[in-house]
Amino acid sequence: MFFKRSQQSSGTVTGSGEVTTVAARPQPLEAAELRRVVDPATLGFKTTEELHPITGLIGQDRALKAIQFGANIKSADFNMFVLGPPASGKSTAVKAHLGPKAREAETPPDWVYVYNFENPNRPKALQLPHGRGKVLAKGVVAAIDELRSVLPALFEGEDYQVRRRAIDEEFRSTHEEAFEALNNKAQNQNIAILRTPTGFTMAPMHEGKVVKPEVFNALPEGMRKEVEAKIETLQKELAAILERMPKADKKRRAQLSELNEEVAKAAVSDTLDDLMSSFADVPQAVAYLQAAGRDLVRNVGIFLMTGDEENAIVKQPVDSAHDVRFRRYMVNVMVSNGGDDQPGAPVVEELNPTYGNLLGRVEHIAQMGTLVTDFLLIKPGALHRANGGYLLLDARRVLLSPFAWEALKRAIKAQEIRIEQPMEAAGLISTQSLDPEPIPLNLRVVLTGDRELYYLLAAYDPDFSRLFKVQADFDETITRSTENDNAYARLIASIVKEHALKPLDAAAVARIIDEGARLADDREKLSIEIGRIADIVREADYYASQAKRKVTTRQDVARAIDEQIQRADRLRDRAQETINRGIVLVDTEGSAVGQINGLSVLQLGSFSFGRPSRITARVRLGAGRVTDIEREAKLGGPLHSKGVMILWGFLAGRYALDVPLALAASLVFEQSYGGVEGDSASSAELYALLSALADVPIRQSLAVTGSVNQWGEVQAIGGVNEKIEGFFDVCRARGLNEEQGVLIPKSNVQHLMLREDVVEAVRHGQFAIHAVSTIDEGIEILTGVKAGERGPEGRFPAGTINRLVEDKLKLFAERGRSFSKGAGNGGGGKDEQ
Amino acid sequence: MIAHVAQTGEDRGRVVLQLRSGRPSVIALEAAVRVARAFQSEIEGLFVQDEQLFDCAAYGFVQEISLSGRQRRAVSAAGIERDLHLAAQVARRQIEALARRAEVPLRCRVVRDEPLRALSVACAESGPWNMVALAEPFTAGNGGMLKQMLVEIAGSTGLVMVGPKAKRVTGPVIVAVEDSEQLPAMLKTAERLAALDGAELLLLLIASDPERLHWMDGEARLVIEGREDVRIQSAEVARGEAAVVAETLRRLKGGFVICRFGGLVVPDEGDLRPLVAALECPLLLVR
Repeated sequence: MFFKRSQQSSGTVTGSGEVTTVAARPQPLEAAELRRVVDPATLGFKTTEELHPITGLIGQDRALKAIQFGANIKSADFNMFVLGPPASGKSTAVKAHLGPKAREAETPPDWVYVYNFENPNRPKALQLPHGRGKVLAKGVVAAIDELRSVLPALFEGEDYQVRRRAIDEEFRSTHEEAFEALNNKAQNQNIAILRTPTGFTMAPMHEGKVVKPEVFNALPEGMRKEVEAKIETLQKELAAILERMPKADKKRRAQLSELNEEVAKAAVSDTLDDLMSSFADVPQAVAYLQAAGRDLVRNVGIFLMTGDEENAIVKQPVDSAHDVRFRRYMVNVMVSNGGDDQPGAPVVEELNPTYGNLLGRVEHIAQMGTLVTDFLLIKPGALHRANGGYLLLDARRVLLSPFAWEALKRAIKAQEIRIEQPMEAAGLISTQSLDPEPIPLNLRVVLTGDRELYYLLAAYDPDFSRLFKVQADFDETITRSTENDNAYARLIASIVKEHALKPLDAAAVARIIDEGARLADDREKLSIEIGRIADIVREADYYASQAKRKVTTRQDVARAIDEQIQRADRLRDRAQETINRGIVLVDTEGSAVGQINGLSVLQLGSFSFGRPSRITARVRLGAGRVTDIEREAKLGGPLHSKGVMILWGFLAGRYALDVPLALAASLVFEQSYGGVEGDSASSAELYALLSALADVPIRQSLAVTGSVNQWGEVQAIGGVNEKIEGFFDVCRARGLNEEQGVLIPKSNVQHLMLREDVVEAVRHGQFAIHAVSTIDEGIEILTGVKAGERGPEGRFPAGTINRLVEDKLKLFAERGRSFSKGAGNGGGGKDEQ
Repeated sequence: MIAHVAQTGEDRGRVVLQLRSGRPSVIALEAAVRVARAFQSEIEGLFVQDEQLFDCAAYGFVQEISLSGRQRRAVSAAGIERDLHLAAQVARRQIEALARRAEVPLRCRVVRDEPLRALSVACAESGPWNMVALAEPFTAGNGGMLKQMLVEIAGSTGLVMVGPKAKRVTGPVIVAVEDSEQLPAMLKTAERLAALDGAELLLLLIASDPERLHWMDGEARLVIEGREDVRIQSAEVARGEAAVVAETLRRLKGGFVICRFGGLVVPDEGDLRPLVAALECPLLLVR
């Protein structure tokens, strides 16, 4: 074993000899640099009641311009994809922007489906001027209602009945009277005509009764023959009468039908005339009404039976619109535009964009054990409702709904809405169903979704870029400025108005703006995650109500934020507890060689928190390899491995320019049983490695975050606030000793929006935040030993960290060479791993 | 049954339903069931095999002509018996279904006899208060037969029958009044029929001159004693035309018509054709 692990104070003599301590510790950041707060007085209002709520977008000029372009351009394939983070108010903003534009636009026409009298399986789609669809539907119902009373009265009337009786009488005279005459003739000849179950038969008769056969047989043969001959003749006559009956009946039915048609035609035409006149400007509607009129005349019989008889199963009177006899004349209004409350073009948002909800569907009803349908069961989809306007859809939901995405693209490409069963569209079933005429489509589809989805679609679906040519990219954050702070306040005012909440005072708004910066992870930015801001405002309103305040105050907002964290921080508490109880080993005082406190962030839903972890490094003679134990154990992600490789590049480039790097080192996150990803611990790992090589201990009261490049520059990382707060919480639990603090990359200072308690501790000198830009700056703070720079002779000054490291590496190189020679003389020279 | 049961308040009686073919009128069967329900009586389904048909079968030269007139076949006793047996089964199933639904007691039997005699015997067997119901629609030529039935079947109090155009049993119960003496009994019968489904009661006063109509109206109002649930309507039949009466009945869209035999509605020797052409509901014919 070459090196021992020691617990020593900074600036003491190590195993390698004297060190050059730094003259004075560098100054940590001032408390004012750790959090940017808004002064409520600068906001210029007392409560949000004084503000005009903002309804559009703030700080989203790029996205706004794109939406304007997408809304104005007329081409069908310039649909929009609005991309941005979830809950950023994309849909609300798009609707707010498109709404006024749509109201000013031309109102699209109505569409209705009607029965196709020539081809019942293919319902006709009629285009009507806006607002006239319902008029036609009501007009038809009224006409049928009228016919229901007029036609039965006409057919019950004396005029009709007389003419009908005349026809019946004619039939009777040609048939019944002939039958009667034959009957009389038979009786006169003493022949009885008898009815059998299946026809008629004849027999000799005496005094109205059939003569018994034995009596008949006793008669003289001549008489019997005579009777037989009479019967034969009568049977022939009877057969002739019976044969004529169907023909006579057919003639009677034809005459009746002609009469019925004549009577019905006048009534139907009188009834439909007014309706046809009112739709004279719509030739399609007139043509339909004419066809309906012809059909009504042909089927006048349905008006002459009572609804009760036809709907015997239901046993209740039904109105015309629901009477099965008149269904075929009804009008199915698919879309009706231009109501008083909805002038202009529609803006429709479909929250559940399934295939059927998008394209419409043909529904079925169960009837006597079978499923049946007709054109009245065609239900409109979002495309119908939005036709002529705008359709807003959540891209992820569309993609998750089977068949919906392909169907949507197909409709946009073909510019028509064709209602088909999904299986039918896929050619998997061929059951005969309705095939409604397609309706022309002219609308702008606005998809919303996150960036990842947009780029995936752009990469893998060739249709996507062709059909969604307008990209409206929402930023997650806006730059912080006085102007944007005020806009943010108006945004809060609009949330208050939308949810009918109590007004917020200026201090409460200021606190929310501060939280917006915290959510943005950047004190120079403000998060526009409207959903989360709205959650805070609504929860604060709740606490204000509990406290019986009429105005929501800063105290309520602070409580809302704290309570939200408290509801989610069970795991953070558990992690803190394991450290406080010594289960997870993290030192917050003393010093140690090759050991450092790294910082990581855990994300749990919308809540994230920082947690310190001990990182250790051990070094020895070897063949030039750093063993990243995390990667070896398959617990390290690629970015973490990259970070480790970079620090190896730094070591080789700075210390082993002219000697081989005969070093074997191992690095590990102690007590880490989950995965490690990211390179934010690479600077900490490098410090630990340098400490191990220089045999100089590191202050355990400090924790480190930051990535490093091959030149030793410390680079920005994410989650800096949570990381600092994670270590602060551990230190505070053990007692702040004015030595504790965190090293962060200098470039992360602009992101600091630390908790107020951390800022207070820094203000009172109990905790420190050090911003470093290089590894040399950091190692000096951590060890208290100068890093050292190469002198003119190319060497680092004696007693500096860099000199100690370089010396150690040279020592390894020399020992390695002599070891190899020994091995070449018969020994082994293989690296021990 | 009509006069006696209705007047004395006795509840029991019997409906003797004459079945003769496998194609009885459904309205006729329903009418029989309604009468049975109204009087809490039972139905005796009497399928009559006309014995004269078997006599016909004994003649070698006699043939059966199909209803279309296009087929002829020799008549045999076995063939007639088989056909009548099947027809009886069909008719029995139909009346059984209706009676079960209405919870009316039913018994059915088949007799081979001359039709009128079979009915007389059946009525005589079970006491005097029978109502004869005919399952086959009557035709214009049945006037004589109706008279014969009312005369010869001593054990019956009335006939229930339908015409070929019968299509309903629901609607107002119409009492066709030509003689106010019978009005109380006919009204009581009508009340019991109307009570089945809360139907309206309508008195149709029929007379050949206004004076008689006026007098009958007064009589009728005395009988109904100011009841508001009974509507009175008058029909003046100037020349006693049965067609006018029949058309009036059709327009009233009754569910049941009660009238006496031998009047203007059902003349004794007259022409039944107007009634056959117009009657759309069952007719309860009393002597």
